[in-house]
Amino acid sequence: MSLLPEELSKRLQAHAEYFPRREQAILLCLHEVQDYYGHIPAFALQEVARVLDLPLNHVENVVSFYDMFDRGEPARHRIRVCVSVVCNLMNSNKVLLALKELLGISLGETTKDRRFKLVGVQCIGACSEAPCFMVDEDTYKFQSKEKLHEVLSRYT
Amino acid sequence: MKSYPVTPEIYAETTLNLLLKRAKRPKVHTLEDYLKDGGYKALEKALSMTPQEIVDWVDKSQLRGRGGAGFPTGRKWKFAVQNPAPRYLICNADESEPGTFKDRILMERDPHLLLEGMAISAYAIGANQAFIYVRGEYTTSYYVLRDAIEEAKRAGFLGKNILGSGFDLEIYVARGAGAYICGEESALIESLEGKRGFPRIKPPYPVQYGLFGRPTVVNNVETLCNIPLIVGMGWEEYRYIGPSDYPGPKLFPVSGKVKKPGVYELPMNTTLREVIFKHAGGTLGNKKVKAVFSGALDCFSAEELDTPMDYSPFGFGGTGTVIVLTEEDDIVKACLWVAEFYAHESCGQCTPCRVGTHEQAHLLEKILHGQAQERDWEGFDFVNGHIQPTSICGLGAVAGRLIRQTMQKFPEEWENYRSKLRVQV
Repeated sequence: MSLLPEELSKRLQAHAEYFPRREQAILLCLHEVQDYYGHIPAFALQEVARVLDLPLNHVENVVSFYDMFDRGEPARHRIRVCVSVVCNLMNSNKVLLALKELLGISLGETTKDRRFKLVGVQCIGACSEAPCFMVDEDTYKFQSKEKLHEVLSRYT
Repeated sequence: MKSYPVTPEIYAETTLNLLLKRAKRPKVHTLEDYLKDGGYKALEKALSMTPQEIVDWVDKSQLRGRGGAGFPTGRKWKFAVQNPAPRYLICNADESEPGTFKDRILMERDPHLLLEGMAISAYAIGANQAFIYVRGEYTTSYYVLRDAIEEAKRAGFLGKNILGSGFDLEIYVARGAGAYICGEESALIESLEGKRGFPRIKPPYPVQYGLFGRPTVVNNVETLCNIPLIVGMGWEEYRYIGPSDYPGPKLFPVSGKVKKPGVYELPMNTTLREVIFKHAGGTLGNKKVKAVFSGALDCFSAEELDTPMDYSPFGFGGTGTVIVLTEEDDIVKACLWVAEFYAHESCGQCTPCRVGTHEQAHLLEKILHGQAQERDWEGFDFVNGHIQPTSICGLGAVAGRLIRQTMQKFPEEWENYRSKLRVQV
């Protein structure tokens, strides 16, 4: 009996059967959970372990290693601002300032309504468009505070 | 037309029209587009040759790995085929070095070029299963590749009995999850096995003991995209592209303070000066170039702009990443960003690296805030003297390299901060 909604369960199952060996799907499964809940809840870890026939501590071990998985408080959308060399040269600080003004949050913080969580990442590989940021799966070039506001309004 | 996650339009330009023949246009090129351009003809040709012949061709083409280390691809393959089957092929698409964004446009815009390259390579090394490890942040690349594989399978270019040759190949796409270290080949293999991305102690190398303990070839996206070119035109003709010692097209991701940042496909006898001024349109506001960082690895000063972009000992080398800093930029501050990168991306397996990279960033912060004392300046040598010899992988070996180089090449910049030293009571 799965603790997860059927839709998510089915997708985890599909990932588990995708690779030659089940355990290889662990990152794909965790991405699925992360995107669904906006973080990795404890009960989902158990489910991932069950679907992949892995011990729970192995799953915990993997989750804690990779940056994109968050055991902290959930948020519906995740904003990743690049704080690496190139974006810093092109003044990524103005992205952080604009976000602070628009949402009132700094790096590592979540808005009160749990709509956005802001994290800093090391290079998102769109350096010609620096300073850049990601919202969930989308990547954007920062142009102005107004533009940023418009982009964020698409994520409810 | 399928919709994919939003990606900014990265500018791309080519003088050779080989790797970026299609990818210079910002759209996803489907199988239909690829076939119109003579796609999968090289695979057809390859399947009529013996695997041994292809390995020989790649070896004679003098293709070097485009992922940073510049190891001769043919030699890597030769090592791998000496070891017993089953063998695996892995495409390293975990491109995460700061300033590097060349593999992304190949995957997002021309996925079939990569798939064709992988099919030929897998045939050559005798692998029936291949993997593409795409970094977690490259969401579009992941979806585009998954769709392209389905397309190619339906058309008989992948899957069982490819083009009636009896050769089977299954390509799987895996996603990373935000760990730079997974670009290191043995860490990538660990991650692909569903574990933490901890680098392995080498030897044994992946060509001997790789995925699930089997001989495995790990090649970069750009390297594999060169394979259809070599097979298609023949190694003799391929050797005529660019300089004779370092043949073949190379992608250069240019970013920082230039007028036209983007990805440039050029021969390797181009100089750094030509990349910046002839192709990327010069610096923003026509300021003087102060330094060029090749990712988080090497630093070139304004006097070294005539460096050729090849793999010779004094060449630019690496992934070809060009990050331009002008006279307005502070070298020491840039070093802090690089140090923070290493501190964040150290996997934590070797204690000296885990602790030392943080210590290094902390020292730089102290210097920038004018809080460093005389002994802190000696800290860099102390820290790196311990990280370097005790690290399993290359990350620890290069964590202090850029800082040391800037100290040699820009002593006056560092002296400025030394004179800010607060007098201790």
